[in-house]
Amino acid sequence: MSNLHSLTHFWPELILTITVLAAIISDLIYRREESFKVAWWVLGGLVLTLFAIQIGGSTVSDLFMGTIALDPFSEFFKVLVLISTIAVVLMSFNSNELKDYRMGEYYSVLAIMAIGLFLMASAIDVLMVYLALEVVSIMSFFLAGYLKKNPHSNEASLKYVIYGAFSSGIMLYGLSILFGLTGTTKFIGMQTAIANLGPDSNLALILSAVFILAGFGYKISAVPFHFWTPDVYEGSPTTITAYLSVAPKAAGFAMMIRFFNQVFGDSTALVSETWSTINGIPWPQLMGVLAAVTMTVGNMVAIQQDSVKRMLAYSSIAHAGYMMMALPLMSEAGVYGIMIYLLMYLFMNLGAFFVVIYVQGKFGGEDFDNFDGLGWKMPFVGVVMTLFMFSLTGLPPTAGFIGKFYLFAAVIKAGTQYYWLAIVGALNSVVSLYYYIRVVKHMFLKGERSESVEMPASSLVTILLLAMALPTFILGWYFAPVVTWISESLVIFQGM
Amino acid sequence: MVVPLEHVIALSMILFSIGVLGVLFRRNAITIFMSIELMLNAVNLALVGFSRYYNSVDGQVFVFLVMTLAAAEVAVGLAIIIALYRNRQTVNIDEINLMKN
Amino acid sequence: MFTSIFFYFLASIAIASAIFVVLNRNAVYSAIALVLCFFSLAVIYLLLEAYVIAVLEVFIYAGAIMVLFLFVIMLLNLGLEDAFPYFRHLQRALSLFMVGLFFVGIFLIMFNEQGILHQPGEKFSAGDIYALGEALFSKYLLPFEVASLLLLVALIGTVYLAKRKI
Repeated sequence: MSNLHSLTHFWPELILTITVLAAIISDLIYRREESFKVAWWVLGGLVLTLFAIQIGGSTVSDLFMGTIALDPFSEFFKVLVLISTIAVVLMSFNSNELKDYRMGEYYSVLAIMAIGLFLMASAIDVLMVYLALEVVSIMSFFLAGYLKKNPHSNEASLKYVIYGAFSSGIMLYGLSILFGLTGTTKFIGMQTAIANLGPDSNLALILSAVFILAGFGYKISAVPFHFWTPDVYEGSPTTITAYLSVAPKAAGFAMMIRFFNQVFGDSTALVSETWSTINGIPWPQLMGVLAAVTMTVGNMVAIQQDSVKRMLAYSSIAHAGYMMMALPLMSEAGVYGIMIYLLMYLFMNLGAFFVVIYVQGKFGGEDFDNFDGLGWKMPFVGVVMTLFMFSLTGLPPTAGFIGKFYLFAAVIKAGTQYYWLAIVGALNSVVSLYYYIRVVKHMFLKGERSESVEMPASSLVTILLLAMALPTFILGWYFAPVVTWISESLVIFQGM
Repeated sequence: MVVPLEHVIALSMILFSIGVLGVLFRRNAITIFMSIELMLNAVNLALVGFSRYYNSVDGQVFVFLVMTLAAAEVAVGLAIIIALYRNRQTVNIDEINLMKN
Repeated sequence: MFTSIFFYFLASIAIASAIFVVLNRNAVYSAIALVLCFFSLAVIYLLLEAYVIAVLEVFIYAGAIMVLFLFVIMLLNLGLEDAFPYFRHLQRALSLFMVGLFFVGIFLIMFNEQGILHQPGEKFSAGDIYALGEALFSKYLLPFEVASLLLLVALIGTVYLAKRKI
């Protein structure tokens, strides 16, 4: 579609851009003590964007002369990104860590990051892929180091910037090799060009695929590109940790699915079934092994942690591993499973991090010991946290169970050669039960039982906890509308 | 005499490998950043070479954007180094290990 | 013929200075070596007939980014103290050398009118500013605009992080 025509389908991003500019200008007007008011501008813009996506209709087309795609698939991920951004903006009101800092920049950058994630989910041109990835990365470096007086936060952002710039450099080299092999930057053009390549280009193709995988793997924190995750997640402000563990991961999966499906896929079908264009390496098996290693490493290290925040960081690696199980299948059911899991994961993980933020603000720490007796002191928070922990393990009747169910069903349906992967996944879920239950144990069995019962002082906290807990619970047994919505969203732009 | 494209790409690969080695072996955060710049420049060289080879401007637009992003990344990265240096008085990444493993 | 030999000469300078960047213990010397590397790459871009990119390489990389690096190195006082007297002579010699390189590249292109990858009889026009500008404002309009947005926010982020007061 031409540039001018594209603008009529580009409302969500345009509204977000205007929001960012308005937020930056309003930040100049507000005094330091009231700089948190920028959040209202950003929130308004985010909600408007959500409406703009809803009324946008479901056109399937390319925009801006083939740089990004407009399809229900990207709209699903945009909604996911918006929900998590809104939740994180609201969470930041109650964050104790952020209290001493000027907040205008924080909220404006969160909104820019949402734009970057939108572009990540819809990029169909390698140039746009790199640009979107870098926008998101640079903004996350900044947000990870937002507590600039806190050495932990400084350290987190320095590690993040080094790992991030390094792996995006490696990915860029892979993209440039791909450009050199095909002579085009568009996914669709690349697919046809790769199909016509001779066997002597195979080595270069494998090299570029591995390099590009490094970039994607870094974004979704897959082993062996996960080294940054624990330190960055621990050192960043907890609100940002919550955001990084959900939104960029979702957009990273969207980008990865689209890229591998369209560039290295085999047909123009909705979701191509095979990977046959790269000869020489058993690609599905390699991805399967990566998934298995990712979840095992994540779980094994999560067990040893003393801090709940760091435990959740490692467990988010494990969750990336569960979702990666469905990548090598390259089947419609697999992509479907990943999308359902991401939606469920959004609520339970944001909820769990929000409880950590609350405990950190109230009891001054995020270790397991800080949770002692919480279930008796504040039954509401305790019960909600228990729900999130059960859901993250994947126990019924919670949302996490439904997510895991669809994911494992896709893996088993793909045939006997993937049974081992499903078994590894199931064993890992059992392992994860141990450390998730440990939180519950600390809340209800350790510490003294207090007689007085307390509710969260601010009603915003209660509402926000409910907003995360209700979907986690209800989607565990009434999930038909969500599943229908996701199956309707499974339309990926495949070229005109 | 015409230089074959392979030699341009070989130069870019050599520079890229030197950059990667620099990131892996140096401990000074600023030198690591310089090595990353070296990697990005190697990519730029490959892109310009390919763009010349295919007689298309796409590769050069890519280089244009890589330069923009590199500038933004370096600016944010160096600002982080300054913020860190204020608190810790070091830029050696071996000494930057407050968090438990 | 001479153009090709000049390419290999530049390539060896680029590699040598890149190795120097990685091996040298003094961050200031590393930065200067990196500028040399960028300069030789800029001349290679000239030989590849990417004129705009060659100029941007000098402006942005050698000019802006490396100055930022040197600024931070000196702000944090990371260079060895005794480096500076030598540094002045090195600077003078290096700058002459780099300008010389650049002019040789420009003259070669002016008199040869074709780059190192140029096949005989081929017509090439993608390297000039018209082609690049047209692509940037039509085919790649969105990336261009997003990059501008990114620069704005990177500016805000940098000011926030580097400012002493919160």
